[in-house]
Amino acid sequence: MRAASPLRVVAAGLALVMALAACGPQPPDAATLLKQSSQRMLGLKGFHFQMQITGFTGPAEPVQSAQGDAHPPDLHAKVNLKEGGILLEVEVIFNADKIYLKSFTGGWQQLTAAQVAEFFDARLLFDPQAGLFAAMRDTTAPYRGNSEKVNGHDAYPVDGVLQGPRVNQLLPLIREQGAYHATYWIESSSSNLWRARVSGNLFDASQPATIVFDFSNHDHPVSVSPPPLG
Amino acid sequence: MITPFRSARLRSVNRPALLALTGAGLFLASLDAYVVVTALLPMLTSVHIAVNRPEQATPIITGFLLGYLAVMPIAGGLSDRFGRIRIFAACLALFAFGSFLTASAPSLSQLVTGRLLQGAGGGALVPAVLALAADLYPAGDRSPVLGAVSALQEIGSVLGPLWGGLVTASSFGWTWIFWLNIPAAAAIIWALWPEIRSRREERRPTHLDWIGALLATAGLALLTLALYAANPEESPVGAGFIWQAPLAIVFLALFVWYERRAAQPLINVSRFRDSSFSGSALTNAIAGAGLMVALVYIPVLANAVFSMNASGSALLLVRLMLGIPIGALLGGWLAHRLRSYRFVAALGLVLAAVGFFMLSGWNEGSLKPHLIGPLTLADGELFLTGLGLGIEIAPVSAALLDAVGEAERGAGASFLIVMRLVGMLVGFSLVAGFGLWEFHRATAHLLPPLPGLNPNFAAQFAIYTLKVKQAIFDEYHLIFRATAIALLVGAAVAAATLRPLARPRWR
Repeated sequence: MRAASPLRVVAAGLALVMALAACGPQPPDAATLLKQSSQRMLGLKGFHFQMQITGFTGPAEPVQSAQGDAHPPDLHAKVNLKEGGILLEVEVIFNADKIYLKSFTGGWQQLTAAQVAEFFDARLLFDPQAGLFAAMRDTTAPYRGNSEKVNGHDAYPVDGVLQGPRVNQLLPLIREQGAYHATYWIESSSSNLWRARVSGNLFDASQPATIVFDFSNHDHPVSVSPPPLG
Repeated sequence: MITPFRSARLRSVNRPALLALTGAGLFLASLDAYVVVTALLPMLTSVHIAVNRPEQATPIITGFLLGYLAVMPIAGGLSDRFGRIRIFAACLALFAFGSFLTASAPSLSQLVTGRLLQGAGGGALVPAVLALAADLYPAGDRSPVLGAVSALQEIGSVLGPLWGGLVTASSFGWTWIFWLNIPAAAAIIWALWPEIRSRREERRPTHLDWIGALLATAGLALLTLALYAANPEESPVGAGFIWQAPLAIVFLALFVWYERRAAQPLINVSRFRDSSFSGSALTNAIAGAGLMVALVYIPVLANAVFSMNASGSALLLVRLMLGIPIGALLGGWLAHRLRSYRFVAALGLVLAAVGFFMLSGWNEGSLKPHLIGPLTLADGELFLTGLGLGIEIAPVSAALLDAVGEAERGAGASFLIVMRLVGMLVGFSLVAGFGLWEFHRATAHLLPPLPGLNPNFAAQFAIYTLKVKQAIFDEYHLIFRATAIALLVGAAVAAATLRPLARPRWR
């Protein structure tokens, strides 16, 4: 019999370590992941978000994308709106129940609640009751997939179903009928939500659309101050 | 059996075919030089950039020019070392890859990378094809062939915006401008494959001035970055201007210092002491800047205030582009006839300046009044601008080529293209930043009316739209007037520095 070469010993050792690692602490089940992550996201001192809507958005839905920093209910975002086939960028600030808009030209102006309702109440997205993080707990039939890299982080995708009326609370232009497919990418160790995706016939009964949220800078403090008007 | 004559005979048989194939590749790349000017808005929209952030389109244009400028000076030397056809094929493949990245771009950064590679691939084709043509034809027969190659390049760049506008307005959309490059480039490379595989091509060991090329590219890249106004609301230049601009000057000064000591420099910098050389180089750069301003801002103006689509704005630009080749022929003929470079060059630049001054008076009704039949005054103004920009080409180029003499003619021809592109790059970067900065300054207190509980919203919004249009016009008036003044400076430089024509040798 031949003596085992040092290389083989090392290889066998490595295999053993990997096997042990694979049998290591099991990730939590889907429902627990969703609950922990929801709690974590609702308690953050601030985060950066990016939202992108693709697919059929119809004539009624002007918002195409938004990105900014939030410490709900305060947030500061740049929003891309689609008006007659062209994209326009506006900037919004929600601060202490007041809403400010910086549009195509000129400086900041304050909006009334009626005006913001016509336009886009971005506060609803991260509202502690109506918003996305609360909706994570309302997701039914959750199923955890294998770990994936999302924006450079290992995260478990959790698939589930969100009912129409629930998603409608986030973005009032979404149809209340039917149910939508939701996926959340959650990092097990930190409970950080890195990405969330809602898809289905969101804005039209027969045409699909998808909303993707990407999050970063979890728990980096965000403070939004009212802008100078004029 | 292979006869000893076969190689030479094959060569002579293949000569027109080789030239036609490489010429087709050159044409393809030259189409793409300005193809984006009529497609900018849809390109921005497809990478999710809003129309009120047009500054983000600047790198789509400057990226291509920078790639072109980085590669062009060394491409001739590379083709000496590795063989013309191989370098041609490699660069055409790079161009096709850049086209792929551009067409498939999900983000602005990939779009700009694609344009940069397109420029790098396309820029190398010009010297490679010129050198190939010079290899294939003996000295006596060369000049019409070289002329044809250069003309192909010019015609391609003139047709580019029209081609881009038509494809963009079609149901295919702008990405097909770039998708179509891939099968076309593949077909050309496939046809050239036997030549690429054969080791027949002569390979000359040459010294390549890598350091010079790197210093020049670094200087230009930093300058472009320094002038890129990513946030024109706050500043007409880039945020890092304070350190980038001086660093760019350091690199360019190092380039000049290095070139003076190099055994085989990219350009013979001592030539700049000759006022006719430096004058024609500067004039050429100013004319390039003028052309770029017209190419970019006429389609954007057509789109923003005359509500034209891509093909409509391309057709408006054609009026100017038609003037360029006619002016180029006229300028060559006049310079020869009057035996004066300085007069004809200055004449062309003054005409172009007059054209820009006229364009700077445009308003919403400017496209309407008809002069004679279907022709409007605007048609005439655009044509005049193009004509002036065309007239200047021959005398300025000839003055520079005369100044460098017979031995450095090839390098001189490349230098002309380089200076034109530098003018385009710097001129456009400046105009883009300052133009938008001025627009934001003018509209800083123009608040849009908001819907909601506002009974007068419709009326207020109509007034607001008019005011925004007026601010856009004001921005254009400023840009066109500044360009006109730059062209007048160019005319003065040309009038003061260009030497008269050399007497024909046989007298």
